[in-house]
Amino acid sequence: MAGSVQRDHTGDMKQPATGLIAVSLEPTPVIEAYKKDVDRTLLRENLKLTTAQRIEKMIAVLAFAEELRRSGKGAGES
Amino acid sequence: MTDFAALLRALTEGGVEFIVIGGMAAVAHGSAHVTVDLDIVYGRSDENMERLAVSLAPLSPYLRGVPAGLPFCFDRATIRAGLNFTLVTTVGDLDILGEAAGAGTFENLLPRSIVRQVFGLPCRFVDLETLIHLKRSAGRPKDLERVAELEALLEESRR
Repeated sequence: MAGSVQRDHTGDMKQPATGLIAVSLEPTPVIEAYKKDVDRTLLRENLKLTTAQRIEKMIAVLAFAEELRRSGKGAGES
Repeated sequence: MTDFAALLRALTEGGVEFIVIGGMAAVAHGSAHVTVDLDIVYGRSDENMERLAVSLAPLSPYLRGVPAGLPFCFDRATIRAGLNFTLVTTVGDLDILGEAAGAGTFENLLPRSIVRQVFGLPCRFVDLETLIHLKRSAGRPKDLERVAELEALLEESRR
């Protein structure tokens, strides 16, 4: 479908970028339904951070989850 | 738990041409989700495949989900014979893609990527618009919620 015109999710008509397979970026009912439940306050806070800080924050969450998993194992939980 | 810093350091210091995609790229752009592995698209030149093999060798890459002990040598010939590999290493899970669904090769993604400093290293990430494209192209039901978040992120970043 190279060279065909597609509409991106902002509603602008544009040529598909070179090398990218044309895919519909039209809003879909499922994605729009999910979008209503996105916690944008979290996204806005993340956007205030640098890239490195965003990744460090995620790693801290993973480390906490790992610690919980370990403590669960230690307590005999599966 | 995957040591993302160790993986990115091995690749970057080994001079590998790669672009971070997937969950880690989403986090880099501000996603509130977490990810447990690193997904990259790598260049398929002979030189780069050699650098990829050499840089990962100290991390003992092995095919994920495959019984231990099978003959597997992660070298340039193996990479050239294959394309996309899901690997486990001593520092965590790593998916290396010669082609990403919807975007093709490293060369296709290169102009649609940005360099950011993480762990003190310059790392290249696919840009947010293209990440949305990749997720949409993959067409997996599990990605729909992620696409919604990424599109919301794009809207917020343009405010």
